[in-house]
Amino acid sequence: MKTTYTQIENGKGFWSLLLLLAGMIAVGLAATFYMEHNGHWVTGMDNQIVWGMPHVFAIFLIVAASGALNVASIGSVFGRKMYKPLAPLSALLAVALLVGGLAVLVLDLGRPDRLAVAMTTFNFKSIFTWNVILYNGFLLIVGIYLWTMLEKRMNKHKDQVGIVAFVWRLVLTTGTGSIFGWLVARQAYDAAILAPMFVVMSFSFGLAFYLLVLLATYQLTGREVGDYVLNRLKSLLGVFVASVLYFVMVYHFTNLYAAEHTGIEHFILLNGGIFTLLFWLVQIIIGSLVPLALIYAPQFRQNRSALTAAAILVLLGGLAQVYVILIGGQAYPLINFPGYEVSSTFADGIVNSYVPTLAEFLLGFMGVAITLIMVAVAIAALRILPSSLADKVMDPHALVAAQAKK
Amino acid sequence: MTQLALVIDLNVCVGCHACVTSCKEWNTSGVAGPLFDDNPYDANPTGTFFNRVQTFEIGTFPKTETVHFPKSCLHCEDPPCVPVCPTGASYKRREDGIVLVDYDKCIGCKYCSWACPYGAREIDEQQRVMKKCTLCVDRLYDASLPESERKPSCVLACPTQARIYGDIHDADSAASMAIRERGGYQLMPEWGTQPANHYLPRRKTELHIHADELVRSDNPLKKEDIRKGPSREVNLDDWMF
Repeated sequence: MKTTYTQIENGKGFWSLLLLLAGMIAVGLAATFYMEHNGHWVTGMDNQIVWGMPHVFAIFLIVAASGALNVASIGSVFGRKMYKPLAPLSALLAVALLVGGLAVLVLDLGRPDRLAVAMTTFNFKSIFTWNVILYNGFLLIVGIYLWTMLEKRMNKHKDQVGIVAFVWRLVLTTGTGSIFGWLVARQAYDAAILAPMFVVMSFSFGLAFYLLVLLATYQLTGREVGDYVLNRLKSLLGVFVASVLYFVMVYHFTNLYAAEHTGIEHFILLNGGIFTLLFWLVQIIIGSLVPLALIYAPQFRQNRSALTAAAILVLLGGLAQVYVILIGGQAYPLINFPGYEVSSTFADGIVNSYVPTLAEFLLGFMGVAITLIMVAVAIAALRILPSSLADKVMDPHALVAAQAKK
Repeated sequence: MTQLALVIDLNVCVGCHACVTSCKEWNTSGVAGPLFDDNPYDANPTGTFFNRVQTFEIGTFPKTETVHFPKSCLHCEDPPCVPVCPTGASYKRREDGIVLVDYDKCIGCKYCSWACPYGAREIDEQQRVMKKCTLCVDRLYDASLPESERKPSCVLACPTQARIYGDIHDADSAASMAIRERGGYQLMPEWGTQPANHYLPRRKTELHIHADELVRSDNPLKKEDIRKGPSREVNLDDWMF
């Protein structure tokens, strides 16, 4: 059966949503102006914690972006038919998440006004430079991918472009993970496993985002999504969440085994205050174990509220995970004098404190708002969403049964 | 290649912070300045400082020794902050080995701060670019200064002359001689960054005094065995001292 794609109708609800998101973006821009005008001393960041809450949001969104493309890749690269109608939204969400994340990242730079310098002066030894190329390349390739899906004459190329996009997204998340993996100076990083861990994190966060956007748009526009599609995506989310847990476990066990890293491990796992709490309570329990229960417990089978809750919790856990990796790693002091307790009048040798300010949160939320507004405008303007994802359209068994009836 | 650097003698550093304040004073007024101050006058000053004194104790209380350890950018020969800079704003000068930041190219991504294992990178929270010790490059080649003052500000300020400045690739420089002859070492050399700055270790100066040095073994009165035990009478010492 041929899938029909249609735009969503732009009624009052649509315009109200746009207004709300535009308001969030305006507030985020005002917060940015406040921070850039005064300098970073008005934020919670300082010489010890140089990347704060905006970077947590930015990296979270960027990681989720590449993962959101997975749904499309499963269709085009691995040839799974069910995923093909879901692909245009997947590609759109991937682009929107990346733009949202990059907007936050760029506005949190010390000198966002020098973006042109970053785009024209490259140091190819820097993983950051490679990330600039990877991010821009991703936008271009996924843009073309979307075009091949939406434009009939280009349809024949979509599988090839899909393969390029899939490989590119793997390299991209490897690049993002390597920002930390290649850092020898800090105790929490310097681990090759961070790159594949970020890839798996992207699978999980991206799919959770995708599920939420899919459920919300279909609910709000009165379109039908069948259990067949949702159960497939749900099972996939379960596998991804469990995989992230596995990588987190390997990362921490490896660190615990090396005497050099036991200090940071004790800090994160046992006595790190907010970081320990975020790790165990939010990342592991609320963000991983509870979603797994919601996904796999027989009581919640066919339960859409449980699936929605699981996806929200996965995102919450993911945000906590990025916070622990990013801020926790900076809060733990540099080890320059192993075995000694160092003090100074400049906060050396102590666990660094960081209290994010409202302005930093607002900038982070702005990234989410940019993502959502892009998705909303695009699905209203372009034929991206299938008119129906009901079982009778999507489930091959239901289709066969219907044809037999005829 | 010339490699200018500091050699800091931990044996004579008393942790007075003169290097910290003179550095701040010179650099906030010089080409690197102004250096941001958020909270300059309280017990825990925050702001941009190129040079900081860290303190740690060796041993277990009460048998401890305090070590003051002044630390600024170590001008590594293989600096990890340089390759990570996306725009090439961080660079190492070929002519003298000083690691510098081009403020006009710095986008303030702060990734160099993550990469430096010594914590020597400083964000100027007002100018929003990364800064660091320049080894007072604006003094070193300033022909208007007397030659004796063409040195980093901290070197001139140190009251105990704990800071020796020079080219560590020149075997005859005072810095090289100090490293060679007094056991100069690098901070955390295992990172392979080859820090140019070196430290001279603490050296315990012990004075051994034997009992016979406390009495006048050559006392002529004693030699002739005239005096037996302490005497209230006037003796030769009273005449002499």
